[in-house]
Amino acid sequence: MSNKAILNIENLSISFGKKEEKQRVVDKLSFSIFPAKTLGIVGESGSGKSITSLCTMGLLHPSAIVESGSIIFQSNQFHETDLLSLNDRQMQKVRGKEIAMIFQEPMTSLNPVLKCGEQIAEAIRIHQKKNGKEAYKEVIRWFEEVKLPRPEEIYNSYPHQLSGGQKQRVMIAMAMCCEPQLLIADEPTTALDVTVQKQILKLIKQLQEKHGMAVIFITHDLGVVAEIADEVLVMQAGKKVESGSTQKIFTAAEHSYTKGLIACRPPMDYRLKRLPTVSDFLQMGDQTVEEYLKPLKISSKEREQQLEKVLNEKTLLKVDNLKTHFPIKKGVFRKTVGYVKAVDGVSFEVQKGEALGLVGESGCGKTTLGRSILNLIPPSSGEVIFEGTNIASLNSERLRKYRKEIQLIFQDPYSSLNPKMRIGAAILEPMQVHKVEKNDKIRKEKVIELMETVGLKADQFNRYPHEFSGGQRQRICIARALALSPKFIICDESVSALDVSVQAQVLNLLNDLKTQFGFTYIFISHDLSVVKYMSDRMIVMQNGKIVESGIAEEVYENPKQLYTQQLIESIPTIKLAEKV
Amino acid sequence: MPAFIIRRLFYGLLVLWGVITVVFFIFTILPGDPARMMLGQRADQEAIEEIKKELGLNRSIWVQYALYLNDLSPISYHSKAESSATYYVESKYSGKTLFETQSSLWVVKPPYLRRSYQSQKKVASILLESLPETAVLAVAAVAFATLVGVLLGLLSALFQDSFLDRSLLLIATSGMALPSFFVGVLAAWLFGHLWADYTGLNMSGSLYEVDDLGRGEYINWSNLVLPAITLGVRPLSVILQLSRNSLLEVLSMDYVRTARAKGLSSRVVLFKHSLKNAMNPVVTAISGMFASLMAGAVFIEIIFSWKGIGWEIVNALEKYDLPIVMGAVLIIAVIFVSINILVDIIYGVLDPRVRV
Repeated sequence: MSNKAILNIENLSISFGKKEEKQRVVDKLSFSIFPAKTLGIVGESGSGKSITSLCTMGLLHPSAIVESGSIIFQSNQFHETDLLSLNDRQMQKVRGKEIAMIFQEPMTSLNPVLKCGEQIAEAIRIHQKKNGKEAYKEVIRWFEEVKLPRPEEIYNSYPHQLSGGQKQRVMIAMAMCCEPQLLIADEPTTALDVTVQKQILKLIKQLQEKHGMAVIFITHDLGVVAEIADEVLVMQAGKKVESGSTQKIFTAAEHSYTKGLIACRPPMDYRLKRLPTVSDFLQMGDQTVEEYLKPLKISSKEREQQLEKVLNEKTLLKVDNLKTHFPIKKGVFRKTVGYVKAVDGVSFEVQKGEALGLVGESGCGKTTLGRSILNLIPPSSGEVIFEGTNIASLNSERLRKYRKEIQLIFQDPYSSLNPKMRIGAAILEPMQVHKVEKNDKIRKEKVIELMETVGLKADQFNRYPHEFSGGQRQRICIARALALSPKFIICDESVSALDVSVQAQVLNLLNDLKTQFGFTYIFISHDLSVVKYMSDRMIVMQNGKIVESGIAEEVYENPKQLYTQQLIESIPTIKLAEKV
Repeated sequence: MPAFIIRRLFYGLLVLWGVITVVFFIFTILPGDPARMMLGQRADQEAIEEIKKELGLNRSIWVQYALYLNDLSPISYHSKAESSATYYVESKYSGKTLFETQSSLWVVKPPYLRRSYQSQKKVASILLESLPETAVLAVAAVAFATLVGVLLGLLSALFQDSFLDRSLLLIATSGMALPSFFVGVLAAWLFGHLWADYTGLNMSGSLYEVDDLGRGEYINWSNLVLPAITLGVRPLSVILQLSRNSLLEVLSMDYVRTARAKGLSSRVVLFKHSLKNAMNPVVTAISGMFASLMAGAVFIEIIFSWKGIGWEIVNALEKYDLPIVMGAVLIIAVIFVSINILVDIIYGVLDPRVRV
């Protein structure tokens, strides 16, 4: 190992906004990264990790101000230089050639109107001064290196014709094509399925070993960091909380924030009564994590009793051979040439008071299934029997009554609230529609009560959604779903867009509400650990069909199908932490 | 793509049939007697009846409708009996016989729009004379608006919130607010009269002019300048604002950040990665404006006495010359439908995601 750091950030401070309302997003941050090493930067949204990387690339938004600090980079062209002192023309020579970056969203990070190959070839032409033909060969070579099938075909494809994983491979090829000394990967696998994530992580690791570059890996997922990083830097609110070798961070974290981040993920091997949140750990004092978690653990005997009680309840919802097919239309007369079988003959039962988990990768039909149960997407055939009535065949007038009984909580708390509606009114609206309670005055009292139940304050009644954080917005959505006192709630990826610590809070809230009101849940997620934590029984879906189902723990511990085994193996786990 | 185009053509035909039907019934039910209008107030009853018979106005409305459709259809049925309303006259239809039976024949022909009540000239030939004038004016106006509008929009977006940006936006807002008849009169007076010595422009005049020196008909391009610019002001303002906003939105996209992260120069990022993406809403706007300008810019054509479709329609309305009005409306409908199909194809070229 060369003992000279390839990148050395010293005392970096960045802020946004004018004098009075100036907000410091990165605060006196210092760290270094050495050649051929991987540094994982971990933190929740808003911790300043992306801003730091954009600043290194010289891609900060013009409204951001670098207040102090230096970013010393060992450049081949400029020798040892402070990147902050280079002008934009000089930075253009560094960007892409010496420091490259992979972004979070492969879906939007490629230009939709340019062919994939061309988007890489142009970088090669500029930085390596190669002509069109040489650049083409180079692109094909890189496509092979990132293991894209049929490179020539992909070269001429547009981004929308590729899958998410393929797009991210194209992005990696783009970043790697000039063999940079430093690669910054900003949440490169967050938007991908776990199995795809595993492949991409492996690919990055292989490329790093082969080309000996340094990698800064930014993520909120500690499991991913544990798998890929040599060193870890934990950030919170723009400040460095802790840093050290991966081994040290996961086995002997000093700071309680780090301990909290590690522990607030739903554990895979045992069951907790409630998830600890980061703030719990900040107040924990001298207790070790183990001591803290001990009283929260549910013994297998308690769990058995719990399950027995739930499974002996009567059936609330029965789905029988449900199919939802979307026609594929082609030709002049839009003839139906085939069907996309999004949900293809699914049958299951949910007992009263049960939480049923539904896992599967994107495109497996889990969201369509959730919506077909509610008849938001009319099923093609099959029955949905809720309390003895087949609601799949009801007309919209009669269905409205059942809409009240079954509520849906969506994935994205940012777009599922009307930005022009005060949150109190948003929670009140379904009550008015369904004529719950006598008048608006009583309804309003109930809304305030609900807001307090989900952990909001009564004086926030007249606020607008943009004034709330993601976690708070999801609480608003939950309150809105609760306003009609439903019996049955379908949570469709309800915590996927949230930070781990916030996710823990929302999961705890959902569990509290379950005990308080006796709801029945269907919990849909791509995250097996969340589903396992939340549910009594679990269903695994693939290509519109159920491939495996059973008691959540049993499915996890003894998966019978290959697909389920792959899903479980792909979950990045903190293996180090388990040695504690 | 071919299937897509064929489907669009089919929908286009359906739209045209709807327009024909609506136009026909509106103008047939309209109060007013064309026969009397043609002969004047002092015509005797006999002559009026004669004309009504000649125009087929004495038949039931459904028969009239069927005859009208038959006249418009490129493939039509004609009787060989001279007394029949569908009797084939070569000078009227100038078509080619497809096949014939003993008493009837089927003909391929250009759509027959009938004759003007006033001049007895064929409506088709009257409209075909004025259409190029309108087309030249519309193309010139849209070209001017697009070139200048996109360029200024680009500048405006690149220097967002600068003095330049703000002044351009102010100009665009006023350009949209000012009514075209006012701008037209003002421009004609200022540049065609007050400062005519410097500009060398006329207050009014058509594309084709006949001068007194016996040179016959010639094209006077300078007459195009004022009407085209006046007509282009509003589209220009819209295009400026649209391309500015659209470009700003595209510049904040993830893929533009990716392009910059590759180390591309700002010029490449702008022209290769941003502009094409930003042009989609602009194309929509341009096509809409172009189609409506092709329908004749009535005010502008009247103010500058530009003898285009708009001018022709107003004249025909004054004289209750229904065949011309109906013919003009149908031609405008054809133009709208064709431009829409063309735009859909352009979308496909601009954005590969549309090509299905």
